[in-house]
Amino acid sequence: MADSRAACTTCTSNGLCGGRGIVTLKDGVWANNPLAIQVLGICSALAVTNKLENSLVMGAALIFVCVGSNFFVSLLRKATPHRIRMIAEVAIIATFVILFDQFLKAFYWEMSKQLGPYVGLIITNCIIMGRAEAFALHNPPILSIVDGFANGFGYAVILAIIGFFRELLGSGQVMGFQILTDKWYTPNQLMILAPGAFFALAIIIAVFNAIKDTETWENKK
Amino acid sequence: MKGNIYTLFYAGSLGAVCALLLTAASSFTSTYQQADREADIKRNILNVLGVPYSERASSRELVKIFKENVRQEQLGKLELYRYVPKAGSNKEETIGIAFEGKGLLGPIKGFLALAADMKTICGITIYEQQETPGLGGEIASAGFYERFKGKRIVDKAGNVGITIKVGADKSAVNEVDAISGATMTCDKVEAILSRLAEKIVQEKRNNGR
Repeated sequence: MADSRAACTTCTSNGLCGGRGIVTLKDGVWANNPLAIQVLGICSALAVTNKLENSLVMGAALIFVCVGSNFFVSLLRKATPHRIRMIAEVAIIATFVILFDQFLKAFYWEMSKQLGPYVGLIITNCIIMGRAEAFALHNPPILSIVDGFANGFGYAVILAIIGFFRELLGSGQVMGFQILTDKWYTPNQLMILAPGAFFALAIIIAVFNAIKDTETWENKK
Repeated sequence: MKGNIYTLFYAGSLGAVCALLLTAASSFTSTYQQADREADIKRNILNVLGVPYSERASSRELVKIFKENVRQEQLGKLELYRYVPKAGSNKEETIGIAFEGKGLLGPIKGFLALAADMKTICGITIYEQQETPGLGGEIASAGFYERFKGKRIVDKAGNVGITIKVGADKSAVNEVDAISGATMTCDKVEAILSRLAEKIVQEKRNNGR
């Protein structure tokens, strides 16, 4: 750790990486949210969000992989030959993804079966590769961890919101507990199926952007 | 040239480190994964035999429920999983037999549950198949399983085997309605089950039961 700190050129006396950590954090979660603003990685966001539980596990997977890969890509950024940097990034990302997949298979078999191939497909998730290329290659390790966490968290939050509404409207449940009873609510099967995911994601992106637009509009005023 | 050697060295060592990490992780988790896989097969047997168990049962609990309720027996070369319900329960005795064979796109594996007479089908489950999702893949659906219930692997005339075809005669004891659009997969399932039926009848005869 001491080594990586020495390599951190932006660190100032007023704490870890100065104020950049907060900016990076806010960027990933809010201003530049990977799902709602950049609209990256929506494949998995559509596929696994039919239950809140699945969404949370997927979000955790992305945070883990993004933090880990960002840290190591950043750590090795000066040693990595430019020509093979992408292959190196993919190798690092794949290692973390498979680690998580193995862990899931060993301790949460049912969950692993439900998520199916989507955990493995995190390797090709644009968010992770994008953060490695756009951020970790040019920034010190600790700041890259913050960035990885911020983006993973930004993704996880949106996923959780989609998962919450899809499960609630689609089966009347939250985390497997019946909330809306059959007596007065007929579950809307559409929300469980793929089209429901598109509707949910689109509405959430629209709302997210509407709120964000009012913020910038008020700032200008 | 120097750059090339460094690149090769870098790629090689990065690959080695990653491979080492993954090997370690895999060997560490393999025992847990093995247990889960076994429990999954046990769960399939419990399902097809109609043994009651909790949906949220852990792998270890499943193995325990399996041991308490299911007796493994040998009939010739066939392995039988006999479910003997506890006294006072309204469940009936069922016998599970594994089957496997070639599907259209990959192996098909599953369990067939028969009543105590070893002729009437109580249930079927397919836990491994690689057929086209939505078409042949539907063989692993509750709707398809349901069509087998009450059918017999030996008809009244003594013919052994099961026919799966579109527009099956509902009153025929050994005809099961096929999935339209999945004729080839259904033919494969038919062949697997008919072969199993013959084997059962043969083993029963050989063992005088």
